[in-house]
Amino acid sequence: MVRHKLILPNDIATIPQLKDFVDTVTKEAGMEEMETMTLNLAIEEAVVNVMNYAYPKDTKGTVDIETTLDDGCITFVISDSGMAFDPTAKEDPDTTLKAEERPIGGLGIFLVKQLTDAVGYERRNDKNILTVKKKIH
Amino acid sequence: MIIEITEKEGGLLATLNGRLDTRAAVEAQQEIQPLLNNADKAITIDCAKLEYISSSGLRLLLTIRQETATKGGKVIIENMSEGVKKVFLVTGFINLFEIR
Repeated sequence: MVRHKLILPNDIATIPQLKDFVDTVTKEAGMEEMETMTLNLAIEEAVVNVMNYAYPKDTKGTVDIETTLDDGCITFVISDSGMAFDPTAKEDPDTTLKAEERPIGGLGIFLVKQLTDAVGYERRNDKNILTVKKKIH
Repeated sequence: MIIEITEKEGGLLATLNGRLDTRAAVEAQQEIQPLLNNADKAITIDCAKLEYISSSGLRLLLTIRQETATKGGKVIIENMSEGVKKVFLVTGFINLFEIR
């Protein structure tokens, strides 16, 4: 089993570091380009969600991203010490609405769910823990 | 700069370059202002050089699209890569624009 860990501040300026991290993991997993792109997107959306909403405005905090590569599956565990929030409980957006009716937000977690194989949330030891699994084809 | 805007017959052409991730989309919020100001015309968005788009990038495109709906223009998106097209399909954004 191969493990990697990255700790980022709640600052979206660090997103390019997250991309490099995910690219390292997908390369080890032998993932193809399209899968790498969509997994990068799912993980970016999950992490940005923490960066933008877990901590009160102008409060510094961190987000931990741990990955394991095992049994044909990459698992990402994204955790933070911010306010309790279960993103998986959010209702999916209606993707059939016309442009004028589409709300401006609400796509991030939907993309995480759509582009990966399993997403789970738990609150443990005052942490939000989001687990995202992606099978390697 | 991630967005290059030039004049095109009947409207504007915006060329997107590289990765429109969350950070780039925040920076690009100012850059789309000329497109919003010309939302009564045809706005063509060339994605040939767009490698990646996040939900914040999609939000920028929706903002432009909604402005054209108000002012009477339209948005044409062309030359999407397979990866970018997949994101448009999953989110239903494929139905919000004229795709070429």
